[in-house]
Amino acid sequence: MAFLIGCPNCGERSVYEFQFGGELVVRPKPDATTSEWTKYFYVRRNVAGDQSEWWYHKLGCRKWFVALRDTNTNKVHKTSWPHEALS
Amino acid sequence: MASPADRGRLSEQGYQLTNRAKTVALNINGKPVHAYQGDTVASALYASGIRIFSRSFKYHRSRGLLCVSGQCANCLVTVDGIPNVRACTERVVEGMDVRQQNAWPSVEHDAMSIIDRFDRLMPVGFYYKTFHTPKAFWKLAQPIIRRLTGLGSVPDRDQPVRHIRHEYAHADVAVVGGGPAGMSAALTAAGAGAQVTIIDDQPSLGGHLRYDVAPHDDLPGIGKSKGYEVAGRLKAEVEASANISVLSDAGAFGLYEGNLLGIDAGSRTIKLRAKRIVVATGSIETPLTFDRNDLPGVMLTSGLQRLMHLYGVRPGSTAIVGTTGDQGYQAALDMFHAGLRVAVVADARPEFPADLEAAAELQAHGVLILPSHALTRAEGVKKAVGAVLTRLDNGRITMEERQFDGDVIAMSGGFQPASGLLHQLGAGSRYDSVLDETVPMDLPDGLHAAGEVNGVHDLSAIITQGRQTGVEAFAALSGNGSGSAIQASQQVSASTTALSPLVDMAQGAKQFVCFCEDVTARDIAKGIDEGFADVQTLKRYSTVTQGPCQGKMCHRAFAKITAGETGKSMDETGATTSRPPMTPVSLGALAGPSHRPVKHTSMDRLHRELGAQMIDSNVWHRPRKYWSPQEEAANVRRGVGIIDVSTLGKLDVRGVDAPALLDKLYTHHFSTLRPGRVRYGVICSDNGTIMDDGTVTRLADDHYFVTTSTASVETIEGWFKWWMAGTDMCAHVMDITSGLAAINVAGPLARETLAKLTDVDVSAKGFRYMRSKQGEVAGVPTTLLRIGFVGESGWELHFPAEYGEHMWNALMEAGGEFGIKPFGTEAQRILRLEKMHIISNHDTDILSNPIDADMEWVVKLEKKDFIGRGALVAATENPGRTRLVGFIMQNGVVPHDGSPVVARFAPIGKVTSSRLSPTIGKGFGLAWIPVELAEEGKSIQILVDGKAHDADVTLKPVYDPDGTKLRE
Repeated sequence: MAFLIGCPNCGERSVYEFQFGGELVVRPKPDATTSEWTKYFYVRRNVAGDQSEWWYHKLGCRKWFVALRDTNTNKVHKTSWPHEALS
Repeated sequence: MASPADRGRLSEQGYQLTNRAKTVALNINGKPVHAYQGDTVASALYASGIRIFSRSFKYHRSRGLLCVSGQCANCLVTVDGIPNVRACTERVVEGMDVRQQNAWPSVEHDAMSIIDRFDRLMPVGFYYKTFHTPKAFWKLAQPIIRRLTGLGSVPDRDQPVRHIRHEYAHADVAVVGGGPAGMSAALTAAGAGAQVTIIDDQPSLGGHLRYDVAPHDDLPGIGKSKGYEVAGRLKAEVEASANISVLSDAGAFGLYEGNLLGIDAGSRTIKLRAKRIVVATGSIETPLTFDRNDLPGVMLTSGLQRLMHLYGVRPGSTAIVGTTGDQGYQAALDMFHAGLRVAVVADARPEFPADLEAAAELQAHGVLILPSHALTRAEGVKKAVGAVLTRLDNGRITMEERQFDGDVIAMSGGFQPASGLLHQLGAGSRYDSVLDETVPMDLPDGLHAAGEVNGVHDLSAIITQGRQTGVEAFAALSGNGSGSAIQASQQVSASTTALSPLVDMAQGAKQFVCFCEDVTARDIAKGIDEGFADVQTLKRYSTVTQGPCQGKMCHRAFAKITAGETGKSMDETGATTSRPPMTPVSLGALAGPSHRPVKHTSMDRLHRELGAQMIDSNVWHRPRKYWSPQEEAANVRRGVGIIDVSTLGKLDVRGVDAPALLDKLYTHHFSTLRPGRVRYGVICSDNGTIMDDGTVTRLADDHYFVTTSTASVETIEGWFKWWMAGTDMCAHVMDITSGLAAINVAGPLARETLAKLTDVDVSAKGFRYMRSKQGEVAGVPTTLLRIGFVGESGWELHFPAEYGEHMWNALMEAGGEFGIKPFGTEAQRILRLEKMHIISNHDTDILSNPIDADMEWVVKLEKKDFIGRGALVAATENPGRTRLVGFIMQNGVVPHDGSPVVARFAPIGKVTSSRLSPTIGKGFGLAWIPVELAEEGKSIQILVDGKAHDADVTLKPVYDPDGTKLRE
């Protein structure tokens, strides 16, 4: 694993500076059903291809952002601040 | 006067790498050998008459030099205690100790070579089939097999440790390979303005041209010139360029995502990132497959050229040459000029290549040339003494044989592009039937390829393609142009190579395909018969291509045999997957020096002066004990103690939404906490399990001071920020761990001690339990938290780290009259355990939730939402099967952290913490046990050192169960 990630704050850096936060999932509302919660806890799409996921620039600016990464090639197509990505 | 190193030498030439003015003495198996500066271990040994370099992996067959370029595993030796050094690339150093390996008593007379006669007992995949029944037999066989096979031995522990430095480098364009294509590409890219780095695994630039003494006509911009002269000319241009830096003796072993090259440069490992990478790694000459093609004396023609031209070493006296293309003729001519008798050149092609200068010259010298002939057997026991040639009919082997004597059997089975790096990043490949080579295609973005790696062998075409590729790489830097030059003209005439003939399996049992792992053509055919008909499964079954050369020597023959046996085309047969490392890399080169950062608190010097025994606590060094943990703990209970708790994680949380943020992340309420108050809190993940715990102090309406456990602060900081990310929450989280030092002053006389150093009212009524104040202590601005982790009245003082020693000394002095003593983490653990205060991630694990950990009181399900609520609602309704409780031993035994709780010796739970209690004088602790036993007074059994001991369950702390002491 040696790919580069473009932190929206710091620019392109080695993946080793970052912490992976998993694929983007939507947290259920507090009154959601057990099955919705279960799905949120345990079920991931795990796509082979482009995936939106959380990354944290732990050894850098310590900011979270969202990256669109091809899980086949580890090519990061795009990174954006959570506000843009979640809206 | 000829030096002792001269017997096996040719006359000195300017293009040789050796300097005959300087001799170097080394030891081989304890005997002195003389060499010249610039020699490799292999050239020195060969010149001194040594022909057997190693014993093979499985059959212990004698093996000699084959490639002389660091590709194959035939010449692995132990150098100065380091095993598996490639003798043909390791330069000689005065006093070097070289030992041959995998043989006993010596490679000349290896007793274990008896195995070779029993090869029928060890067919392909024998270790999957034999030695397994009865089961116990494998236990006997395994150590013997392990000892007989293998490559060298792991160095002794007392060997000096070599640290291989890791370096990071960057370039606009990285060119892998310092041959004509690589240098040409570097020159045009650098000429256009790019910063270029050439990575070359040889001691000097030039690639194959360094040992090319043939003249070449009409070279673009150069005219007529000999190969080594072209190399010298390009090298001078490269050295004159300010934009090119050259890494010599540096092997690129891996190409990783993000255009990262892993480079093994001996004493350092370089990680080089480049915007564009030009792979100009050339091609590798491959062996022919014939009976006993592994005998010492059987060598690749390019290996012989390297020996002669780079090191001035005489290969032998009589040569037999077998080739499938033009290459064999030039090597034969070179040997002829070096004074060897060339007995015969056997060319698998049907026609004599009349327009090839080298062939014509050989013919003019009267050398016997036999078209339509192939090498089918080498003669000899330990070394080659001759060879058998067989006539081919339409590429098929006939019964017409001719025998020749000779001590050098030169073979050329054609070239295989060294395209591994390209495939590592996803390039494809196709079989070119005109070239009879598998060439790379569909290069991923960022990569270029130039020269022989593309199957281009004509020097003019190589140079032209190199230059074009350099221009393209530069253009791509600025986003102009695209991709690679791979589809550029491949100016090869169809006559340069023939399809190498397929071996006849009946010809002999010792037709080696894979020299590293001793896999023969017959083994591969047998593997296919057994159903492993695909190169990927066949590779795994037979171990072909899995040795140190990683398929460089064998993949071509392997693919051809597989295609022939299965009746598939070369494209259908395909190739095995190319993965890093391309070349053998030592674990030390990958590991690099050991970097282990350690943090010291600002009071560290004082702890060491006091003789503290230090332990690792995450990245920190902390005092475990000063003298006796039991005594230290007793002193806290009796009078007053201090402990350095600077390692606690500390977060500063501010903003109008700070209360909402903490309410969301903790299971408890914090928006209702009044300023000046402290509350214990637990952070859960969204599935309800405990992540961390600590105190939260509200300093002001919009300002909190949060502590975390020592190991967790970075994780918790990230966690806080994650739940804010993308929301409109207005809050700011800052890790201030290193900025603050912290000391906990605890014990019945803590108040008296502290009162001497501060104007802050620390009286029982003025400063209640779980309150905080800010003020000066010993003249230092301090946040005081009245908390009771160890169960006594006490204060946690947080203050600027610069004053660590000052505060410690002031407290020690002020408490002198009260018998103040420092205490370490071990005493702290005993004290907190007596209070049943958990340590998260020690008494709990990744599956523990606060309900089962008997901490329901911290979970406020009435809050509408918080992280983990959904799961904790479920956990409340449906509790887990085990619960965290206290226990007290009935006898004098003290269990260990981790001792199992058992029922009739079957484990039903586990102890997480256990110590000897100074208060009750018995072993006690915390344990996870089944819910049905988790009641006051129930009896459990704990297994300690193989014996079950009775203990009583308790739900109350053994010390001060009502918590009056810490509130006093």
